Amino acid sequence: MADKYFNPFAAIDIYVPTEFHPDVVRFCQSGGNPVDQSPFPRMVDLWFAAVCVAARLNLKPAEIGGDVPTTKIIDGAIFGSDPWRVHTLMLLAIGKTGDVQIVSEPRKIMNLASGLAAAGLPKVIEMLKDGDGEAIWNLSEAVDGMLRKKSAA
Amino acid sequence: MKLLRAEFENFRLLRDLRLEFSTDPARKLTVIRAANESGKTTILNALQWALYGDAALPGKGEEFRLHPIDWDASVKRRVPIVATVEFEVTKYRRSALGTRETRRRYRIVRTAFEEVDGRTSRRAHSEVKLYALNDTGVTPIEPPEAIINDELPPDLREVFFTDGDRALSFIEADVAVSTKRDRVQRAIRALLGLSVIEDAIYHVKKSSAEVNKQARAIGGGSDLNRIASRLETIDEDIAGLEGDLDDAKQQFEAFDEKVNETDRTIAATLRKGDKEKLQRDLEAAKRKIKQLDAQLEAAGKEHAALFRGRALATDLLAPVLDEAFGKLEALHDQGKIPSTTIPVLENRLSLNVCICGETLDPADAEGHRRRHHIERVIAESKRADAIQEMITDLYYGAKTLRPLGANTWLDEYKKVVASRDGLQDMRNDAGKEFRALEVQLDALPDTDIQGLREVLRDYKDQRDRFLSKKSTIQTQLGNLQRERQGLVQERDRLLREQKKGARVLAEAEVTQDVITVLQRAYDRITKEELAKVSDQMNANFLEMIGADPQQGAIIRRAEISPEFDILVYGPEERKLNPDRDLNGASRRALTLAFILALTKISEVEAPNVIDTPLGMTSGFVKRSILRTAVRESAQLVLFLTHDEIAGCEDIIDQAAGTVCTITNPAHYPKMLVNNPGVTERKALRCECNHRSECPLCQRRSDVRAELEMAS
Repeated sequence: MADKYFNPFAAIDIYVPTEFHPDVVRFCQSGGNPVDQSPFPRMVDLWFAAVCVAARLNLKPAEIGGDVPTTKIIDGAIFGSDPWRVHTLMLLAIGKTGDVQIVSEPRKIMNLASGLAAAGLPKVIEMLKDGDGEAIWNLSEAVDGMLRKKSAA
Repeated sequence: MKLLRAEFENFRLLRDLRLEFSTDPARKLTVIRAANESGKTTILNALQWALYGDAALPGKGEEFRLHPIDWDASVKRRVPIVATVEFEVTKYRRSALGTRETRRRYRIVRTAFEEVDGRTSRRAHSEVKLYALNDTGVTPIEPPEAIINDELPPDLREVFFTDGDRALSFIEADVAVSTKRDRVQRAIRALLGLSVIEDAIYHVKKSSAEVNKQARAIGGGSDLNRIASRLETIDEDIAGLEGDLDDAKQQFEAFDEKVNETDRTIAATLRKGDKEKLQRDLEAAKRKIKQLDAQLEAAGKEHAALFRGRALATDLLAPVLDEAFGKLEALHDQGKIPSTTIPVLENRLSLNVCICGETLDPADAEGHRRRHHIERVIAESKRADAIQEMITDLYYGAKTLRPLGANTWLDEYKKVVASRDGLQDMRNDAGKEFRALEVQLDALPDTDIQGLREVLRDYKDQRDRFLSKKSTIQTQLGNLQRERQGLVQERDRLLREQKKGARVLAEAEVTQDVITVLQRAYDRITKEELAKVSDQMNANFLEMIGADPQQGAIIRRAEISPEFDILVYGPEERKLNPDRDLNGASRRALTLAFILALTKISEVEAPNVIDTPLGMTSGFVKRSILRTAVRESAQLVLFLTHDEIAGCEDIIDQAAGTVCTITNPAHYPKMLVNNPGVTERKALRCECNHRSECPLCQRRSDVRAELEMAS
């Protein structure tokens, strides 16, 4: 991939609705939280999982910005450390909009992803909290169930 | 600062002892030769007590007796204890004529009295006096601590005055990781003198609180007033909690240390009491548990990695990705990707022959015309091609994201579960095994061991209590800081709405900016100096152990990580565990390399006084440690046993300006040849150097007898 297309999201900030921010912090290891209680290594990992879960469940992207208070978690330069995520976000946008040309509009792609993340966050938080085990096991079982259900179907 | 001489009176074994230290820059080594139990560690303690007071004594001096153990209280109950140290401080001043050097000499005298009453004693707080010495006499200096704090910062005390065994505390495996990190971090921050920036941050934070008060005044009874008041309370709470956190950290570290010390004492008692097998089994069980805990932690991290890996995304997004790849495949089938037109045309231009076989030679008129046409086609294609190129890149670059039909994440998860469950079972078994051994230990009739185990349990409880306190405070601080952040945003928003708010807001922003700048400077200095210490430590260490990567040495390098861990690497950057993979000599070399690096990078001209630096070392490494230490230190004072000296005599010949011998008369008749004729326990000095002996210090060569006495 040519360098100039390597990370088109580098200059775009990633936000989450402020109401979910405490849970985002709680379930990430960034602050030194233990792995079993905080399965996501970084906040961006939780955000990305929320995007995937929302897409998987066909949730409608939530409105983000406007009256909904948001908190920045990091900027898109973080994808430089996981370049496959750049491709995934582009493919997700093509799959959701049916428009291949969207690859040239990183802001549109990020808006779509952020909307999906906002819709998926409450679901992921529920997956982390619901269950008898620690968060990592609750989430693992929920993802396992989600993948099996659709696989069987 | 250089040590000149020291005198001790009634300080434990040092009833009456005078020492001189070499200050010759060409022979900067002082060797104090002494067998075990002759007062080496006592001299180290006495020097520190003279300079830093009770806080420098083991256990901060609590329950630490200073008077000689065989003091005859029937003759005199009140024991005067005196430690005097003379030192020289050199100051440099740059002038137009060059650098000017000024040397000043000082004498510090610390005194204390202990009332001996049967088996107990009471000590009043010690008194300290500092005098400047000059040709005309002595001048008292007030306060004495000011000079000492400048020349030998108390935070670096353990770097300047080192017990060879305790030095291992920077890497020893038994203490908690946080304890080791705190030690290294404290030493590095202390050497940088970062207290100046810390003070500045503290003062600016106070100004920030003032600004907040102004905001409260503007606010009247409004939301602004309420928020500003809450911020004030939060700031007070944060300051209080930060103090509590420091305290909890120190307490945790102290009890962690005590747990390990007691553990070691139990191990030694078991070995002495013919319970060697039980002790070996216990150690093996502990090692196994530690190993399994490390594996469990790694497995937990692998589990967490499942939530940042691509398998989770590709499996969850499989339906959407199918759609997207379908679109890309269609474009591919239509020949729109990959975009090959431009490369093909460019290739033909370079060959000077068209696809149809006609010439594209620019020298030929027709060829030139065809060439111009092709160049125009390429330019037009390039303009329309930007998006197509991105799509082409995506088509080829995202191949690894293509759903394969199988659920990769589920397979990986299955493996992780098997690994975690298997390890957890093994850990449970190892725990049971350990508990069974502890039951055996509890059943031992040995009262010494039971007493020690009782103490150990108590220390463990205390350590865990402070660990839990530490976590609770950290959580509280995290919550308060988050709340503070939100409130500051809200306060600033309300200030913007107020007429008088603009000025207060500007002040608030300025103070915040200053805090940010100071904090960044603090972090940056720490980081940069950390790298310097790390490099210097690595150079010292590799030289000491003679590791040459070109010669296939196992140890390739050592570093201090950004988290303040001291790490050692083998071939292919494999991490070596300093406790398991390094021998005793290399461990000692590593810690001494760290201490010498700290002293050097601090640029503080200070002595390194090291007790038993060459224990557990021999041959090349022993000589190399000594040579490196002599070279790297500004003034090196070593307390060496006869065994440590053996094989290094020629280095001492060259480097030492002063050598003397200390003898414990209680070693007669088992280890000393002649009766020193002294009935009380006291360290006696003679002028014998590392090669000579006199009737006082002449020792028997019966090693077994010496070991018995030492134990």
